[in-house]
Amino acid sequence: MRETYGAILPGMNLAEMTGKLIVIEGTDGVGRSTQIKLLRPWLEQQGRAVLDTAIKRSELAGKGIQQAKEGHTLGRVTLSLFYATDFADRLEHEIIPALRAGFVVLTDRYIYSLMARAIVRGADATWVRNAYSFALKPDAIFYLRIGVDDLIPRVVFSRGFDFWESGMDIHPSEDMYDSFRKYQTELLGEFDNLAKEFNFEVIDATPDLRTVFEGLRAGIARVLSGEPREPLFSVTPPAPAEVPEAASTKVVEMPATGKPAASAEDETQPVAQALAKAAEGDASR
Amino acid sequence: MKRYGEHRFPGKLFVVEGIDGSGKSTQLLLLHQWLQAEGYGVVFSEWNSSPLVRDTTKRGKKKQMLTPATFSLIHATDFADRMEHNILPLLKAGAVVLCDRYIYTAFARDVVRGMGAQWVRELYSFAVKPTGAFYFRVPLGVAMKRILDGRSGVIKFYEAGMDLGLSDDAEESFRVFQGRILDEYEKRVPEFDLATVDATLPIEEQQAQMRQIVKAKLAQAKRLRVAP
Repeated sequence: MRETYGAILPGMNLAEMTGKLIVIEGTDGVGRSTQIKLLRPWLEQQGRAVLDTAIKRSELAGKGIQQAKEGHTLGRVTLSLFYATDFADRLEHEIIPALRAGFVVLTDRYIYSLMARAIVRGADATWVRNAYSFALKPDAIFYLRIGVDDLIPRVVFSRGFDFWESGMDIHPSEDMYDSFRKYQTELLGEFDNLAKEFNFEVIDATPDLRTVFEGLRAGIARVLSGEPREPLFSVTPPAPAEVPEAASTKVVEMPATGKPAASAEDETQPVAQALAKAAEGDASR
Repeated sequence: MKRYGEHRFPGKLFVVEGIDGSGKSTQLLLLHQWLQAEGYGVVFSEWNSSPLVRDTTKRGKKKQMLTPATFSLIHATDFADRMEHNILPLLKAGAVVLCDRYIYTAFARDVVRGMGAQWVRELYSFAVKPTGAFYFRVPLGVAMKRILDGRSGVIKFYEAGMDLGLSDDAEESFRVFQGRILDEYEKRVPEFDLATVDATLPIEEQQAQMRQIVKAKLAQAKRLRVAP
């Protein structure tokens, strides 16, 4: 029987959702949608019916959010709630019916991105968790993890900096690069917090597309076969704020899963930056 | 993010609550006129009126695609937009803000639709506590008569709570739905210390009661010089 994170919506029947709910999480530009484009045909070749869904795709609120984001008067609480509306609509009208019909639901982001964005924008932690407490607990959450230094070139050389992905609404700056770095560092730090709380399976997103795909494929195959989870990659525990500079040269020990280790830089630097950020940000929240 | 509680802004916030046909909007209009004449800078904000969210709500209602959850969330979004861009800045500027319906509407209505009472309260915890909140108490029959006499068109789908499948007949569904909302409101009165006005009294009498309470709460408020 499925569970939610707390609230149960009227008419939500948690029994008979035989499909699998698989979440791909990760920050802007990390390659989630590219991976989903590869995963879908792979699953379909095995005879699995797939529904893929993503933020802002709801029939109800997708267009409204797009329009609201084009203006300059969208408040932080309003933005959060607009996204929650979009999410609820997709949950009730797409995800749940698909799970009932036995589909594999691949969702490009879930509530965690929305929570991270809201928290970075100063939302109250209890408030955010409550707002999304009606969400179904997924069968697996794969988090494509990347450090800000590896992220930046990907974004620059693909789509360029976007106003919202650069957090220009909270770090107004003449320089989108500075703003992007600052905002994404905060966001990645928040993702690391959520990774622990919600038990993400972390996949290193720094290697090439193929390697990341293979990692995801192995994880999803395991979920579909009903095998228990084996940690792929452990999230760095909240190191003390005074992470020494030297840490960036230390090789991170990997759990014995035979996966290649991320570069040490990728592993430690964003966490250290995020912690520093969190320390200075806490007072203002 | 601030959580529900007394605000410390120079402005004042008064809200009216009650079921459809309780006469609350009429009372708020009369209060508005009086406060303006008294020299206060007065601004009015109505439930479900954010231009940012309007199209989405309209689409949801027209296509009857709103569920209790999305109904609740889209109204909260609307309220948040008005709170962030209207109500809060105006309170900071020292205005008297008048709201036709406030969070208590959601506390009553969304709960009748089956949303968890605690969930809805937490959802709206970013709202500021009003300086004064009035609840217009009216028996269901009186409110129904006022509504049905006063309108030529049919009662709308969500207004009648038709989404709850209470009855195929709009008028009957409306009656049951409003009755349940009335019960919820009654429970909220002591909890949130709403000032109750007997909405069967003559209009002038209700208004006099309202003005008396508002006047007491405005004792130290400065009057804004507002261009006519």
